[in-house]
Amino acid sequence: MAKDNTKETDYRKSKIKSIIAWTIAIIFACVQLVLTLTPFFFMIMNSFRKQFDMLQQGVFHLPDPWFTENYVTVVTHDFFGYFFRSVIVVSISLVLMLIISSFAAYPLARMKFKLNPFIYAAIVAMMSVPMHVTLIPIFKMTTMIGFNDTLKSLIGPYVAFALPMSVFILTAFMKTIPKEIEESAEIDGCNKYKNFFLMILPLSKSGLSTLAIYNGVGMWNEFAFANTLILSPEKKTLPLALGQFKGEHSLNIPINMAVLTLSVLPMIVLFIIFQDKLVKGMMAGAVKG
Amino acid sequence: MKKDNNVSLARAKARSTARAATVFLIPALLLIAIFIVYPVIDTFVISEYKWNGISADRIFIGMDNWRALIHDAMFWESFKHNLIVMVFSILLQIPLGMLLATFLDAGGKKFNIFKIIWFLPYLMSSVAIAFLFVYALATNGGIVSSLATIIQGKRATVDLLGTSPQALYTVIGVMAWQFTPFYMVYFIAGYGNIDTSVYEAAIIDGATRWQYIKHIAIPLLGPIFKTACTMSLIGSLKYFDMIWNMTQGGPAGSTELMATYMYKLSFQQFNMGYGSTVAAGMFILITAIALIFNKLFKVKEDY
Amino acid sequence: MNKKVLASILATVLTVTTLAGCGSSSSAPAAGGSDANAPAASGDAAQASDSAGKQTDGKNLPTLTTEPMEITLWDISTEDPGKTNVEGAVQRFMADYPNITVKQTHQQNDTYKQQLVVAMSSGQCPNIYCHWGGGPMAEYYKSGFANDITDMYAKYDHPEFVDAAVAQSTYDGKMLAIPFSGLTGCDIFYNKTIFKDLGLEVPKTLDELEAVCEKLKENNIIPFSLANASKWTGSMYYMYLVARHSGNAEFDAAYTQENGGSFTSPAFIFAGEKIQDWVKKGYFPDGVNSLTADDNQDRALLYDGSAAMMLHGSWQVSGIKQDNEEWYNENIGVFRFPEDSEAKAKGVPQDVEIGTAIGMGLTFNCFKEDGSVDQDMLDACYVLATQYFNDDTYNEAQFSTGTIPSIKGFNENIEDPNNKYIIDEFFKASNVQLWYDQYLPASVTEVHKDCMTELFGLEKTPEQIGQEQDEAMKKALAEK
Repeated sequence: MAKDNTKETDYRKSKIKSIIAWTIAIIFACVQLVLTLTPFFFMIMNSFRKQFDMLQQGVFHLPDPWFTENYVTVVTHDFFGYFFRSVIVVSISLVLMLIISSFAAYPLARMKFKLNPFIYAAIVAMMSVPMHVTLIPIFKMTTMIGFNDTLKSLIGPYVAFALPMSVFILTAFMKTIPKEIEESAEIDGCNKYKNFFLMILPLSKSGLSTLAIYNGVGMWNEFAFANTLILSPEKKTLPLALGQFKGEHSLNIPINMAVLTLSVLPMIVLFIIFQDKLVKGMMAGAVKG
Repeated sequence: MKKDNNVSLARAKARSTARAATVFLIPALLLIAIFIVYPVIDTFVISEYKWNGISADRIFIGMDNWRALIHDAMFWESFKHNLIVMVFSILLQIPLGMLLATFLDAGGKKFNIFKIIWFLPYLMSSVAIAFLFVYALATNGGIVSSLATIIQGKRATVDLLGTSPQALYTVIGVMAWQFTPFYMVYFIAGYGNIDTSVYEAAIIDGATRWQYIKHIAIPLLGPIFKTACTMSLIGSLKYFDMIWNMTQGGPAGSTELMATYMYKLSFQQFNMGYGSTVAAGMFILITAIALIFNKLFKVKEDY
Repeated sequence: MNKKVLASILATVLTVTTLAGCGSSSSAPAAGGSDANAPAASGDAAQASDSAGKQTDGKNLPTLTTEPMEITLWDISTEDPGKTNVEGAVQRFMADYPNITVKQTHQQNDTYKQQLVVAMSSGQCPNIYCHWGGGPMAEYYKSGFANDITDMYAKYDHPEFVDAAVAQSTYDGKMLAIPFSGLTGCDIFYNKTIFKDLGLEVPKTLDELEAVCEKLKENNIIPFSLANASKWTGSMYYMYLVARHSGNAEFDAAYTQENGGSFTSPAFIFAGEKIQDWVKKGYFPDGVNSLTADDNQDRALLYDGSAAMMLHGSWQVSGIKQDNEEWYNENIGVFRFPEDSEAKAKGVPQDVEIGTAIGMGLTFNCFKEDGSVDQDMLDACYVLATQYFNDDTYNEAQFSTGTIPSIKGFNENIEDPNNKYIIDEFFKASNVQLWYDQYLPASVTEVHKDCMTELFGLEKTPEQIGQEQDEAMKKALAEK
């Protein structure tokens, strides 16, 4: 009887504890919500204002009056052209990058060979290269092979620059996959190649989606290479669209905010679609199956 | 006889492993060699010249630039800033990201809306972030100064970007705002990789959620954790974008980082030779720090 | 389960390959397109012009080649109205000379200097490029990317550029650029309504200016709107105070560091102390070093009425007008930087203006493989820059948007009263000092800008910043 009582209070205690914990967590979550949403919200709000109103009333003020002309201007200045060129470049680069980096991460994470630590260290070291030192050499190479001022000239640098970080992340992810999975497959007569495609790749799905998000955003917003390698307006990508509305002394901030809002929207939509893939890889199914 | 057989078998296995590894690694190594290694070598070569970056003749001066770099107070000052940024980035971004991810992992699907909104800062471009924060932190009508005015009941100015050393810490805060969402997503993926049966087993054994996180999830996430720290470390040591848009290294160099210093020298001050030395020095320092970090926090690895 | 996984992988691989295939085929035509990139307008216009004659007919100019030629041109006119205007000049030129194709690229201002460095170091320097003169122009010339056009300029027709513009296009006695983007003055914009409400007069001397500031302070209005995170904005006060105190002679001396010239000479100390005094008195906004002009934070202070005056470049006229013309007409007036009456009593000239007489210049890079001058191309570039840029159509378009071409006679008939005032002052000036941050060698510029932060932030004394600038200047001179 007495025993039952303590159990009961224990249960109650832990229940209360859990309620308190959740309350604190929710409050914290809401604070974070405000912190992340406010700047974003004002980016959108300011895109609906005239520059004069924005400067006079203050940036953190709701549009009064609402001004939609900015979007008309942006869209009529070939916004969709910029947009689709970005889509082409980013999707090709991203797919190539995911394939190549998962190829490279696999042996580094799961094979024993003499050069492994060395190659791994070398690739990690390449993460510390400041991007600006590569501008001139890459521009020279691009001109030499006649790729200058073409969209395809961007793909090489985009993929290459995403590789060290991606290989690094993916190697860490692949290391968390229990080695029994592979061993059992090897007993079943799978070779390394089959192993990779049948076991490791599907199990790295959550790692791959992280990479896709990380590099997708990076490539989508990439400015320096695009600005250097592409000159013709009819080949420019989205981050360069901002430049159209930036004169020497005449920066129209609301129009820029409109461009930025329009460029971020597709990313948000994609994130909403793909964020599910982040949670619960196929691990459970794989082990049980 | 039997031993011999074993040895040759092992050798054959090693050889096939090596072959497979080569096949898998070649595309990545090739691309990295062309687009990163070659420019890095080029940078080291240029660092031995006195060169304005455009002229056809450059003067070979051997190690002079390197000697200058060792005595360059500006460079070490910016390196110090980078170190500060690095330490605080790791201390802010990783735990916060972890916290958010844990919350989302515990909450499951019904918290998706939190996940999506929390992720927004990472999607915004540095240009927009810099602009909005410059205004939010403005001494005149900025959010922070306005809040201070309300709290104190009289006109108050909080100058976060215009004075050192506050400017550097302010920028660190904005960086944390921008990058924490990425680590959040990263840790969500990490949680996703933990076998659900592990969680189920733990719960059946009577573990509370907190115990599960502390004793099971975090150790299992070890390698992921370390990778995240390394990324944040390297990222903050070569950071450029948002700082460039927000302060350009100012006020009076108090937010100058190695990368902004290098950029100014190479592309604005016609000092490509020395700028390349700074870049090369940066490369050496970052790599060294990253390797030391990885040695210090060796996570048990098995292949 | 294995089968399922295999299927999904196959599907992924297939999608990937099709995507990749798709990509390479779709970017192929883009590559071809770049060769056929000649601006479309040239064709029709060219035929029409043959019968109509050229707009250069009857002028004393070099005869241009009839062989096909391609000229690359870089400017930073990414935005209208400038964009239409520079494109118009190029199209008129190509209509008159159909054998010559001009490939024009509009670069972004923010990264323009970097783009030029990348292009020049890779052997891809455009044949014509714009720049702001000063230190960088000298650097381009010394590195072999600028044709010396002194003789051509003397021999052939060209617009009558104002003397200051010719001076700013010249380095080491050699003419290196053709001005094309107009004059920029620097004066104090003020809120007429506030001045009227408080019964304030436009100040003529520094003492009067300080009295105005005091009165504004009493009424809780910030005297000067200044966004000094940009540094060149604070530099304007420093430059003017030096100019008023010494008639700019001390700056010229400090620039050479000869005959006792130094950034610690009396005028610089005077300027520094005056500024720090004003900071202490609260003449500038709080946190002046955190506000940035790039984000228009200084204009915002003017718009919401919290500040009454702003020392700035004359581009603010069109900038503010573009934001709200009505408000501009009602509220904005302009006056020149007040005189230093003590210095004036000693006979120091008070008519030095700060600004730029060329805005930007076009410099030519026409060399053959062996390094000799490609005269045919240079001739074409010269005609394009002097006769099509800077022609009547071009100048009128400039004029109508509030930019005053650097050509004699354009100071007449200016409608906007503020612009008229600014330009009149500009033409009355005995000397126009180019912004320090463009005039000084690039390495000194950076030091100077940081000094401005420290000066306004009260972190260093005028002596200290003077010494720092001296040191940088000496170092730059030693490297020449």
